[in-house]
Amino acid sequence: MNDINLNQFTRINDFEWEISTSFRSDMRVPVRIFASKVLLEHSLDDKSILQAVNVSTLPGVVEAVMVMPDMHQGYGFPIGGVAATDPETGVISPGGIGYDINCGVRLLMSRISLEEVKPWFRDLADSINRHCPSGVGVDSQLTLSKSELAEACVKGAGWAKAQGYATGEDVKHTEDKGCLDGADPDKVSERALDRGRKQLGTLGGGNHFIEVDLIEEIFDQESARIMGLRKQDIAVQIHTGSRGFGHQICTDYVRRLQSAVRQYGITLPDKQLVCAPIESPDGQDYLAAMRCGANFAFLNRQLLADKVRQAFEKTLAGKVEDWHLKQVYDVAHNIGKFEKHTINGEVRTVCVHRKGATRAFGPGSEDLPEDYTEIGQPVFVPGSMGTASWVLIGTDQSMTRSFGSSCHGAGRVMSRSQAKREVWGEDLLQRLENEGIEVRAGSMPGLAEEAPKAYKDVDQVVASVVGAGIARKVARLRPLVVIKG
Amino acid sequence: MSPQNYEEIDHTADLALKVWGEDFETLLRQAALGLYDLMGVKRRAESYCQRQFALEEESTETILVDFLNELLYLAEEYKEYYTEFRFDDKSKGMRVTCQGQNVLSISRNIKAVTFHNLEIKKTDKGLETIITFDV
Repeated sequence: MNDINLNQFTRINDFEWEISTSFRSDMRVPVRIFASKVLLEHSLDDKSILQAVNVSTLPGVVEAVMVMPDMHQGYGFPIGGVAATDPETGVISPGGIGYDINCGVRLLMSRISLEEVKPWFRDLADSINRHCPSGVGVDSQLTLSKSELAEACVKGAGWAKAQGYATGEDVKHTEDKGCLDGADPDKVSERALDRGRKQLGTLGGGNHFIEVDLIEEIFDQESARIMGLRKQDIAVQIHTGSRGFGHQICTDYVRRLQSAVRQYGITLPDKQLVCAPIESPDGQDYLAAMRCGANFAFLNRQLLADKVRQAFEKTLAGKVEDWHLKQVYDVAHNIGKFEKHTINGEVRTVCVHRKGATRAFGPGSEDLPEDYTEIGQPVFVPGSMGTASWVLIGTDQSMTRSFGSSCHGAGRVMSRSQAKREVWGEDLLQRLENEGIEVRAGSMPGLAEEAPKAYKDVDQVVASVVGAGIARKVARLRPLVVIKG
Repeated sequence: MSPQNYEEIDHTADLALKVWGEDFETLLRQAALGLYDLMGVKRRAESYCQRQFALEEESTETILVDFLNELLYLAEEYKEYYTEFRFDDKSKGMRVTCQGQNVLSISRNIKAVTFHNLEIKKTDKGLETIITFDV
């Protein structure tokens, strides 16, 4: 594998860099990186850029492989990678979407002020922790039959609404209205269905969390007003995905394509990049299964939102004036979708893989709910535990430069084992509590792995996407309560 | 007790394990122990479980990934932890017979075993590989 250094990048502007196809003979398109020079230099410490170069070799990839400033090394695709392929000549790659299909973030807003909720922080943390199953191997309070799960993952958020877990406004304010068309449970293995039916409405472990935040600063009054965000009110973020259901779907198809890729005559620089032509039976089957996983994840976050609402009601009803939570939006950051984009002046439908990147459609997009058409799509960028998170919005420039995509988080800089060597979970817990943050965590080593120093500075990441013009700032959030599995 | 022929190596976001052994069966056994170690599995004393499953022959790499993904699934879904393995050849694959104990707790969620840059290399002492896990 080639080494790479800063001299091999062409500077487009302060926040945009490119590696041309002359870097390696098997590249089909350039790699475009959105990052400040400092973040770009950091990215050279791991293999994220070389992984993006590998992605640029996929058949039918168009325009450029994009990399967001929160990039870090993944397995196959880099985290923070965006790649679009032509539906007729291109491929779909399960690894380009990941094992946690439709991992994403939901934001709920309230009319509860910091002063009102302050006396009830501890009770609220306990209540959310009790209502929302979290941690490794923890099953849902709701167990579906396989046929019920099959129906749910075809209907997505509509199923949640019919069952009383979602309002019409929730569904409207979810990416793709919480349902990807073309989901086919017949393309999902029995094992995946068996894993999924016990896990709907569970948070899981790792970097997944539920956070109660303070809206600390507003940067765009009009967009914040339209989203219902007010300074000094509290909001809730839910970060999770498709749990064992999605993991199994990806595992099944990455395995199936190991041999299929040879049959299609595709040569790859990494076995984890296995793929199939979009139009092939393998490609179509994966898409149908992946959409089941995506719809499961929309449902999972919806059921958790319902549980969080119950926790708020139980803890705050009669103690604050209005304890209700309204959904701002729900975004996916591990997904593959067919979207229309302008490429070399021509509007084309392409299959956009986002692996650790958020859709960030600009104003006027017909895929947004009516109330957001004028301002653009909300984008949520959680920071590391105990640090700020951001609400951003998509721009016209994101549509022309990054396939309507932006960053998805802070991005790791330190391995989990190094974080555990440097941070003691109990110390971190104490430090966060000293800062006034209530933490409920299932595992102290797990907490240490997610220590803030293991991540980039989210403010620098946000400054890069804003500097590149692919997102705008709306609000900055500060954590008050953190629930981790 | 067999020696520990695996070590965790640094990976920015996920987990990676270097595993070695004198032959393929030793490599599989050591990879299994390494996987359980990464998962932080605690066993229930005085329990016993056994199971048989088959792996399809395609390449040694696919057998390794299938084997570990199967153990991951059995640990999470059936709360089973295996310490003894017997590998028998069968037509177009391998039959695995394993026995061990029930799982008391798992402290880390591993989503899957990946094929990322996976290659089983021959060395002077046998075989060696690096396995990346999605967490």
